[in-house]
Amino acid sequence: MPCPAARGAGGQTHAKESCMTDHSHPSSKAVATVATDRTFWGRLAAWGPYHTLMRLATASPRRQFLILAAFPVLWVLTQHLGPMLQMLRVSLLDAYPVAPGVEQHFTLDNYARFFGDSIFWMPFFRTLAFAAVFTFCTLIITYPVAYFLARHVSRKNQMLFLLLLLIPFWVGEIVRTYAIMILLGNTGAVNLVLKWVGLIDRPIPFMYTSFSMGVGIVYLTALYMLLPLYSALEKLPQSMNEAAADLGAGAWTRFWRVSLPLTIEGISSGCTLVFLISTGFYATPVLLGGPSTTVFAETIAGFFHVAGDEWPTGAAFATIMFMAALVITATFQKLMNALRKGESK
Amino acid sequence: MSKLIYNRRRFLGTAAATGAALASPFYLRRAAAQSGGEVNIWTYNDFVPAAFKEQFEAETGIKVNIRLVDDQGKQFNLLAAEQPIPTVDIMTVAGHRFLQFIDSDLLAPLDTDRLTNWGNINPTFSESDWSTINGNKWGAPILSGMEVLSYNTEVVSEEEAQTWDTLFSDKYSGQTAYIIQDMMSIIMLKMGYDGNMVEYMDDPDKAAQIVEEAKQFLIEKKPLVRKYYEGGAEFQQMMVNQDIVLGHSWNGPAAALINDGFPLAMSIPREGSYGFVYTYNIANNAPNADNAYTFLDAILASPEIGAAMTKASGFISTYKDASQYLSDLEKKSTSFPEEQLANLQFFRAEANEMKYGLVDPAVEAIKAA
Repeated sequence: MPCPAARGAGGQTHAKESCMTDHSHPSSKAVATVATDRTFWGRLAAWGPYHTLMRLATASPRRQFLILAAFPVLWVLTQHLGPMLQMLRVSLLDAYPVAPGVEQHFTLDNYARFFGDSIFWMPFFRTLAFAAVFTFCTLIITYPVAYFLARHVSRKNQMLFLLLLLIPFWVGEIVRTYAIMILLGNTGAVNLVLKWVGLIDRPIPFMYTSFSMGVGIVYLTALYMLLPLYSALEKLPQSMNEAAADLGAGAWTRFWRVSLPLTIEGISSGCTLVFLISTGFYATPVLLGGPSTTVFAETIAGFFHVAGDEWPTGAAFATIMFMAALVITATFQKLMNALRKGESK
Repeated sequence: MSKLIYNRRRFLGTAAATGAALASPFYLRRAAAQSGGEVNIWTYNDFVPAAFKEQFEAETGIKVNIRLVDDQGKQFNLLAAEQPIPTVDIMTVAGHRFLQFIDSDLLAPLDTDRLTNWGNINPTFSESDWSTINGNKWGAPILSGMEVLSYNTEVVSEEEAQTWDTLFSDKYSGQTAYIIQDMMSIIMLKMGYDGNMVEYMDDPDKAAQIVEEAKQFLIEKKPLVRKYYEGGAEFQQMMVNQDIVLGHSWNGPAAALINDGFPLAMSIPREGSYGFVYTYNIANNAPNADNAYTFLDAILASPEIGAAMTKASGFISTYKDASQYLSDLEKKSTSFPEEQLANLQFFRAEANEMKYGLVDPAVEAIKAA
């Protein structure tokens, strides 16, 4: 609170002094009450060392960048890179986990086991083949949905439709897998309807086949394909197709020469996501798959639980799958980029 | 103004704290009052009767945390990864898997003097040869089970169920299921070998050859099976959905279905089968060992608890006189004719290291084939 007497023209010094002396007691009391009354954050902000620290921390843009970068880097290191490196390390050990005091040695035997025994190649290549086929199916099924959503639904309804499509994703993966069981089981909805219509006498054994597994995986991954496709199609101006139509292109040509090439970006990111997710699926193949659909994730899991102390082998197999998926994805991306370059020329 | 906010915040804080205290589950406050602590148990579904758990928690103030397991191997790996500072106090190890756990220092010897109710266990189980290893008891037997052939009585005849061959017949192609690992032992027995592999302990080559033979048999029969399953619940679900009409199973899950009124029956086929005993064990370095003993003593206290475990799980109780508390249907679903029981032998652990060293990779090979 300013001292009004201090503004007086005459006897300025004296007036100021008297003002200060007059008010010194009450004002110091006020400061004291404010200090105790302050919230935790208020006290922290007024605290000297905190001030100094903050000044030091935000002194230069470089420092600000470093502080900002620290958290994402820490996250990537501890949550992504760390576990991967630990898995890589375990895959190179001869025993893990071991009792305290037992010596561990590095070895490549765990990798040799995969390349040395053809029995493991089948599930490995089966997984890659399944993932490729299911990714393609997901693309074929979701493209029209995304197209409809981006082109034929009015802007203000699009959010509502997207939310509707999202509803199944509010429940967990396992619950949705069980829902598929209810649909496809021998006494499931599909068989009941077919029987009721009179098309079949005995239920068709859909369950525990590559079909039921495929239905499950396509259903579970559809959204990861739909969203990139939707955003790519949404960006595509209607005028392009209209221009093509004006120039005499039929519906098929318009799709093949205009829509498809211009949405390759969405297709490529959608396919990559779905492919990577499909190679890693475990619960769905276990619950929906049968004896002839054993995927590599189940083989890997076998080393971790049923087969006793074989974590290093499981880790080695997981690393092999990871590398293979990475190489395939990289090749796929290269291919897609090449296609896009061809269009822009 | 700042004063007002401060006060309102403090009021809100106090109100929230009061609300939280009021809303906190009753047992938390009671446990805090009695400082009973907790006991962590890894066990199969339905092995701790819900009513018993509630009563035990109310009387002792010890909170019972149950983590469900469905496989001995998984349990072993979990514990191996956690030792020497495990989170678990009591585990459920099958008697024939003892050695593996003991050799890896995962179990603490059971001090039966601390269990006043030890005598309530039928001596057939508490004093048999597999239960004493290195001069110590390692677990309290609670339930006994066996590998049986379960079949839908509306489809499969009683006569057909007298042999394991029906499981591999073309007639029921695509309508069968089994646990591969358990089936390996049964196939070895069916082929006339010792499925426990104790006979071949001095002859590893012979053992490897037998496992290979059993493996080839199951690979050859792979086109006939609908599903290799792992947990009892999976088996029940496939039966109820009529995805399968017969299969190998443990008697527990099958008995539970029978008691629910499902047209199911069990048999011990003439080629023979194996039985096992589940025991509660105390983990080495268990964090709440005293509570674990309190729990064990309490659960062994009366045959009614044993009967409740049988009712819920379908396995046969090891308690003296537990069957008195079962209904006729329950008694029927947990007993077998004498001539079938004669075909039963217990799993043995002596050759396990060699046996599972051969069988586990064979199982992976069958799955992958």
